[in-house]
Amino acid sequence: MAELDDIIHQPLRLKIMAALNALPAGVGLEFARLKKLTGATDGNLGAHIETLAKAGYVQVDKAFVGKKPQTTVTATAAGRGAFARHVATLQEIIAGKQG
Amino acid sequence: MIDSKQAADAMADIDDTVRRVRQSLIYQVSSLALLMWGVLAFVGNIAGWLWPRYGLYFWISIYTVSIVGFLAIGAYHRSRNRIRVFDIRYLLTFLLIVAFGIFVCYFGHFTPRQQTAFWPIYIMLFYMMAGVWFGYAFLVIGATIIALTLIGYFYIPGISLLLWMAVVNGGGLTLGGLWMRRS
Repeated sequence: MAELDDIIHQPLRLKIMAALNALPAGVGLEFARLKKLTGATDGNLGAHIETLAKAGYVQVDKAFVGKKPQTTVTATAAGRGAFARHVATLQEIIAGKQG
Repeated sequence: MIDSKQAADAMADIDDTVRRVRQSLIYQVSSLALLMWGVLAFVGNIAGWLWPRYGLYFWISIYTVSIVGFLAIGAYHRSRNRIRVFDIRYLLTFLLIVAFGIFVCYFGHFTPRQQTAFWPIYIMLFYMMAGVWFGYAFLVIGATIIALTLIGYFYIPGISLLLWMAVVNGGGLTLGGLWMRRS
């Protein structure tokens, strides 16, 4: 029986992973765009990205574009795999195979 | 473990986020196309106002430049996001839209003034269709430009209509592009 991923299951982290997973592998989202897409606040989003980064699910890259700092978040291969398993488990629960 | 209702809510959250990401990508690419067309429409109308006899040549040149512009936007977007947004099908679609517009103008025996109003209204029809599928911004931009074009057609006399169109078509597309970039 598959288990839900506790790290991904938190609502905001689920949205972050869903947003990053919707992009081609290796393509990330800028912090500001991710904030807009998930409707999160700066602090909240930063904290949850850190949790996902510690688990190895996302990679965080910081760079300067002109004089402005820019943070880009990208789902790792491990993150994509964990997200796919999490979604499969949710679908099993909905289908009544678990829960 | 969660129940099926909670799992369905989580899946709905995922679907909504994926929809937002896709819309955001469409808006990113479209905003560049709108900004490009805002400048081209402004230039085309002003040039037509200054040298009315050469209007047809200006617009043929502008449509040619726009095809090159679409290819450049596609290449730029692909280098950033690794997503192919324009290919030969889009070019063919664009050419079919233009060909049908020429067909209508020819068989309708449109006057230059009617053509000035027809082309933006015709193109904005496709924006409004895009709005039904990809996001309300297209719908708002299309409806606004159509309304302003009709106001100009009925109330702005003579060749001054081209100045009006430079502002509402060129300006409208530019503002629409900037709005989409922020959405």
